[in-house]
Amino acid sequence: MSEAERQARRRLGIGLAVLTLLLALAGLAAGSEGWSIPQTLALLHGPDGGLVVGQIRAPRTLGAWLTGALLGLAGAVAQGLFRNPLADPYLLGSASGAVLGVVLVLAAGMLAGQGISLATAGAVARIGLVGAAFAGALLGVTLTLALARGAHETTRLLLAGVVVGVLLGAVSDLVTNVAPDALRGKQAFLLGSTGFLGWGSCALMAVGVAMALPLAWRLSRMLDALTLGEESAASLGITLPHMRMAMVGALALATGMAVSQAGLIAFVGLVSPHLVRRFAPAAHGYTLVASAATGGVLLLAADVLARSLMAPQELPVGVLTAVLGGGYLLWLLHRRKTS
Amino acid sequence: MSTALQAENVSVSLGGAMVLRDVSLALRPGWTVIVGPNGAGKSTMLRSMAGLQPLAAGRVLLQGRPLGDWPARARAQQIAWLAQQGSATGELTVRQIVQLGRLPKLGLFAEPTAQDEALVQQAMVAAECDAWPHRRLNELSGGERQRVLLARALAVDAPLLLLDEPTTHLDPPHQVALVRLFKRLARERTVVSVLHDVPLALQADWLVIMQAGGIAAMGPPDDLAVHHALAAVFDHAIRIERFGDRYMALPNLD
Amino acid sequence: MNARRWLWILLFCLPLQALADIRLRDDRGATLVLPRSPQRIVTLLPSLTESVCALGGCDRLVGTDRFSNSPARVLSLPKLGGLEDAQVERIVSLKPDVVLAAPSARVIDRLESLGLKVLVLDTKTHADVKRGLYTIGQLLESPDAANAAWSRIEAAMAEATTRVPQALRGQRVYFEVDSTPYAAGAGSFIGETLARLGLGNIITPELGPFPRLNPEFVVKARPDIVIAAQSNLDDMPKRPGWDALAALQRHRSCGFDVEHYELLIRPGPRMGEAAQLLADCLAKLPEQR
Repeated sequence: MSEAERQARRRLGIGLAVLTLLLALAGLAAGSEGWSIPQTLALLHGPDGGLVVGQIRAPRTLGAWLTGALLGLAGAVAQGLFRNPLADPYLLGSASGAVLGVVLVLAAGMLAGQGISLATAGAVARIGLVGAAFAGALLGVTLTLALARGAHETTRLLLAGVVVGVLLGAVSDLVTNVAPDALRGKQAFLLGSTGFLGWGSCALMAVGVAMALPLAWRLSRMLDALTLGEESAASLGITLPHMRMAMVGALALATGMAVSQAGLIAFVGLVSPHLVRRFAPAAHGYTLVASAATGGVLLLAADVLARSLMAPQELPVGVLTAVLGGGYLLWLLHRRKTS
Repeated sequence: MSTALQAENVSVSLGGAMVLRDVSLALRPGWTVIVGPNGAGKSTMLRSMAGLQPLAAGRVLLQGRPLGDWPARARAQQIAWLAQQGSATGELTVRQIVQLGRLPKLGLFAEPTAQDEALVQQAMVAAECDAWPHRRLNELSGGERQRVLLARALAVDAPLLLLDEPTTHLDPPHQVALVRLFKRLARERTVVSVLHDVPLALQADWLVIMQAGGIAAMGPPDDLAVHHALAAVFDHAIRIERFGDRYMALPNLD
Repeated sequence: MNARRWLWILLFCLPLQALADIRLRDDRGATLVLPRSPQRIVTLLPSLTESVCALGGCDRLVGTDRFSNSPARVLSLPKLGGLEDAQVERIVSLKPDVVLAAPSARVIDRLESLGLKVLVLDTKTHADVKRGLYTIGQLLESPDAANAAWSRIEAAMAEATTRVPQALRGQRVYFEVDSTPYAAGAGSFIGETLARLGLGNIITPELGPFPRLNPEFVVKARPDIVIAAQSNLDDMPKRPGWDALAALQRHRSCGFDVEHYELLIRPGPRMGEAAQLLADCLAKLPEQR
């Protein structure tokens, strides 16, 4: 690679590392009285220190980073797979599937009286919101693959994803009509929240990153070949359907994991690859990993802001990612117009 | 006569219409050009022979075996393909794009060797895009982009080179350089290109003239029958004239 | 002579007609004029449904929102959606004389533009509820019923207050409204009820009536008593850091099933019963060592 590219990568790498460190410290210091180092130090010396910082702030900070990393990775995979800079991780029905899972669990109690047995309702409720969201996301993607009859054609996949999204959304709406108590929980899920990420969530998401990142990275050459066009990529001996299926699998895993822990957080998956391309454009092997790191920083920043801006009240983190991400896109557009 | 790649009774239907009807073609060593009017099925023919087009009937044989029996990578190492309109996008650099040509040999995981790097360099030199290896695809002009994609096809180092309209966007000096390159490559490999440009096509070793989904005529460029066929398929909008020891195609304004 | 007489009679009738008009100010500050007491009423909020029924207007209800479920007789009425997705066409087809709604419902403008009269009643504080009851009393032309309803609430609250153990006075409550978490602050009607019962709140008034909290705040605030829906209460120890809450460890908490929880969070005529429900639980709380 050229000297310029090497330097760009170094700059981005250092920038991300510094930001991550600073935000991690900020995350430990941001609490219900805003962002305050003296108060945090006082807290650490007091009796609550281990509890608040160690059990609440630390895992939440790490969890926000991991969630962002999963979403950033998924976004880069989606944009490479569909060769579209506007693609986001939720395209293949994972979002609507997760929402449906959540709604079914929330409504399980109410549905017990109406057609499904008490035992089934009990079983569903025991799976819990996290499990249901994850299973729902995977189911949504599976349905999309089934509808598109495998990953043979990208346009068919996209269309199937849209159809599945609309269908599952309609089913969710039906369920919330019958069981309106599920509405509030559904809306909270749609906004996303990093509020309750504990060490358990972090462990699960770390596993998700450990599985999805290497898989996607190994297959990154396929995404590079895809930039030549589908026919050219096929002519290079790449069995596109199989590779696409594997990529979709990585996408579903990463998205499902992130969404099940923190709800549908917008923009992180969309914007992270753009930021990487802006500062250090490269082949997909690098872009995938850098998008994960960038997504982590982005969501962590949003989480710290969500906690600090109106303490002890908390803003929905999805609003902040939209502001940060959307703001960046607006700035990009502005630059393009004036340049 | 090497029949490394041959089509047997190939028919292709696209969107309900028969684009190729029962076409058979055995490729010869050297540089073959497929010419014909728009809609004759030239690109479809080339894609079918590259194994990129599902067939309604017939088969394509590579070294005697049907294409479908070949594992994807093995086939890709035998046949290099250049697509018609660059539908290439993105931020890859020139060098990274040309390196993709080594994929059939390396697969997704293996690291390139010194020999691979040498082949990449050779391909870039041959296609005249070695001066700016780190520029990105979306910063290049149409002609520069075309040369990069051609280099990618050359980097595959395959015995069969199938090129769909390789001279698009190229200005005359580069077109001529390309023709020289083809003639050189054609000494050891089989090069097949679809061309719109009849004067360039007349420099090839062998012409395949297609019309309406079939082959109207085949032959060397100095064959009178080929000249007649050329003029006929183009509705006599051109006429072929001798010019020293070469042939020229001139617009027929009569 | 005849014409003059008719003129006098007319002149008399006009002010009488005006006297027969019902004029109400709703919580938007808008004035509503109705020619007579409405016979067909639509309510779009469960607490407003309960208020109308408590004041004897249940027969006049022709439709409610989907969440209204008390008293039992309203279950058979047409359900017209929620505040966000009210079924405009259906509401209009029921030809109500007046529609009762909460503020900032999207549907209000639409209904008014279609010629319907909408009475907007806020229900955030006790004062709101009292004012709402009196307004509805005026609407139904039964102000005495409004008086009686409010007195019942007051009496029930006073009675509940006596049952709250002295030892609990001043202890701080965390009342969770939603698992996001949203809490009921001192400024909300729930907070006011708790204050009447002699309890404090970890959420002070300047945070608003229903703030969305950083979960850390609750842990640091160390509430003495936790009140929530039973299902949320069961999940609380699983939240990071919440298992350290003394109130949870020592079961100084009040969990309510869906039906009773709904009663607690309805700012309507059953607020007195809500206070009594709270007092029942508080009286049984284990000692705080």
